[in-house]
Amino acid sequence: MIARVAWLLARPGTAGAAASLLPVTAFAIVTSLLLVVLGGAQSFWTWPDEIGVTYQALAVIALVLLVVPLASLGGAAARLSARRRDDRLATLRLLGATPATVSELAVLESVVLAAAGAVAGVVLYFLLVPLVALIPFRGEALGVDGVLLGVPALAAVFGGVVLLAAASAVLGLRQVVISPLGVRTKQDAPKLHWLRIVLGIAVIALAFLMMSVLQVAGSVMIILGMLGAAFGGTIAVLNLIGPWVIRLVAQSQARRAKTPARLLAARSVLESPKAAWRQVSGVAMTSFMAVFAGTGIALLDSFGEAGDVESQQLFADIRTGILITVIGSFLMVASSVGVNQAAGILDRGELYRSLDMLGMPTPTMDAARRRAVMSPLRITALGSAVTAAVVMLPLTGAAIIVAPLSLAVIAGVLAAGIGVVWLGLLATKPMLERAAAGA
Amino acid sequence: MSSFVIEASGLSKSFGQTHALSGVDLQVRTGEAIAIMGASGSGKTTLLHCLAGITRPDAGTVAFQSGAGRVDVTALGERERSRLRREAYGFVFQQGLLIPELTAVENVALALMLNGMPRARAEEYGRGWLGALGLAGMEDRRIGQLSGGQAQRVAIARAQVTGASVVFADEPTGALDSATSAEVMQALLDSTTGQGRTLVVVTHDADVAGRCTRIVDMRDGRIVGERVPGVAA
Repeated sequence: MIARVAWLLARPGTAGAAASLLPVTAFAIVTSLLLVVLGGAQSFWTWPDEIGVTYQALAVIALVLLVVPLASLGGAAARLSARRRDDRLATLRLLGATPATVSELAVLESVVLAAAGAVAGVVLYFLLVPLVALIPFRGEALGVDGVLLGVPALAAVFGGVVLLAAASAVLGLRQVVISPLGVRTKQDAPKLHWLRIVLGIAVIALAFLMMSVLQVAGSVMIILGMLGAAFGGTIAVLNLIGPWVIRLVAQSQARRAKTPARLLAARSVLESPKAAWRQVSGVAMTSFMAVFAGTGIALLDSFGEAGDVESQQLFADIRTGILITVIGSFLMVASSVGVNQAAGILDRGELYRSLDMLGMPTPTMDAARRRAVMSPLRITALGSAVTAAVVMLPLTGAAIIVAPLSLAVIAGVLAAGIGVVWLGLLATKPMLERAAAGA
Repeated sequence: MSSFVIEASGLSKSFGQTHALSGVDLQVRTGEAIAIMGASGSGKTTLLHCLAGITRPDAGTVAFQSGAGRVDVTALGERERSRLRREAYGFVFQQGLLIPELTAVENVALALMLNGMPRARAEEYGRGWLGALGLAGMEDRRIGQLSGGQAQRVAIARAQVTGASVVFADEPTGALDSATSAEVMQALLDSTTGQGRTLVVVTHDADVAGRCTRIVDMRDGRIVGERVPGVAA
């Protein structure tokens, strides 16, 4: 019975084939990016020497940093897949389908779409391998053999993506199962507690203190421990205070908005500051890391010019790694934004059509949704970068003086990343125009 | 000057092989409430869209008479028609189609802000219209916090706040119970014909049509009859 109902629901609805194609594309992007990252990291494990261990440790840090935007993108893909059927599944609940039936349908649909996307992602990964193989580390290109993953790794990623889709479908539809009317009327107004900001500021202040007394620490282990605590602690609170700050800024923007686009954008962010944060949070960690580690490397690099060739090579490679991690995270956030925007346009197609009928120019609608993404993104990227600069304050100041070029490169990459996300938004503009025209 | 605010002649419109409109002529007088009735697929919504300049007909013309003169709506480009809809017309849809993340007053004020009015003044006008429609005290509620009837009154306020000379309503009471439907229709009439404005309403509901000054019946993309409510055809 489940399979028959699923087949009926799988037929294109008013949103057409895009309703199924979008999540498949999103899962394909998730799979290919995950495989590219793992493939690149894998090549570090082919170096058996002592310094190879340092590269492996750095690769693990980069992987951990990329997990957040990747999970965000994966979550967006899974939620999109589940949400495509939200209304119809909620209707099934209203018609008397049991919660178990609805859950099974949601999981089945998401798994099928994720599997199709994952297969496409593997194909895309094979196409990208020659490009990734060209990235230089330790003075030479990684090479195709180094970045090509084996069948077990490919199978594990495939399984992981499908599992993520299934889990997200269950979690995403819990609301439908509990209260079908809750989803249909979209009445929930989000609340965020002010305690988040108090805790956040306290942790950042503590991290700043720890970095200030770093030079009086007795041993390398204590220094490393303090660095780790300052880095990890601040990263952790970014997630806590991020949505709160985004909400605060959006509230102020909503109050001051003078144009329809600004008002719509601010209200749209206020509708769910957590969702706005989730979409761009991957950038928070990478921006923080880029400034935190970038400052350190810039200083070490400038002081270590007289050092041995191996150390200079390591610093250069760390800088390359930072740039790749930042670019990777922005690519994932751009994909996530593209997926979420496409889903949003499909969901709000009727509203956009009605606004067009009322005479609202499409550029106004476009400006509103662009601002609703770019404003939280700018707050997140710049806020995280400034937080890292504050935590590292004495060192940041020194780095600006002795190694301005290194910091300028990091700033440039951050700016370019914001531009990539903007391009992701631009890519969905034709969809908006079609929705407004009722095509 | 013509007493017709809208004059349509020879309107035809096809979607693929489907002929939605076939040579429709219709004149709408200033200050009247005209109901367009017919079965699903009879072409009534397409006619409303052509009259309002939302859809361009394949053949025929639509003229709009405003204080500034007579405008051939069908000859206008996309941007000009969009501006005409924004400045001269108001719209009420079946589901309200209000922006859920905005408050009631912001939804209403948005129509004025799109025409360049400063926000504070636009909200002041919006509050006035919401109060007149019995929604005083609910201005700062989000749309999800309003009942269906209240949301539809917000939509009426949005359609009227710009001083639109013609309001087009597509099944404005279609999603409401009969008691609320009667209240909303009364509010719609009071705020349009009650103030010398014109109302064009597409409806399935005989009670709604019965409160208009004229009923136009459609079938298969053609007007097959006109009648005055309460008078046998």
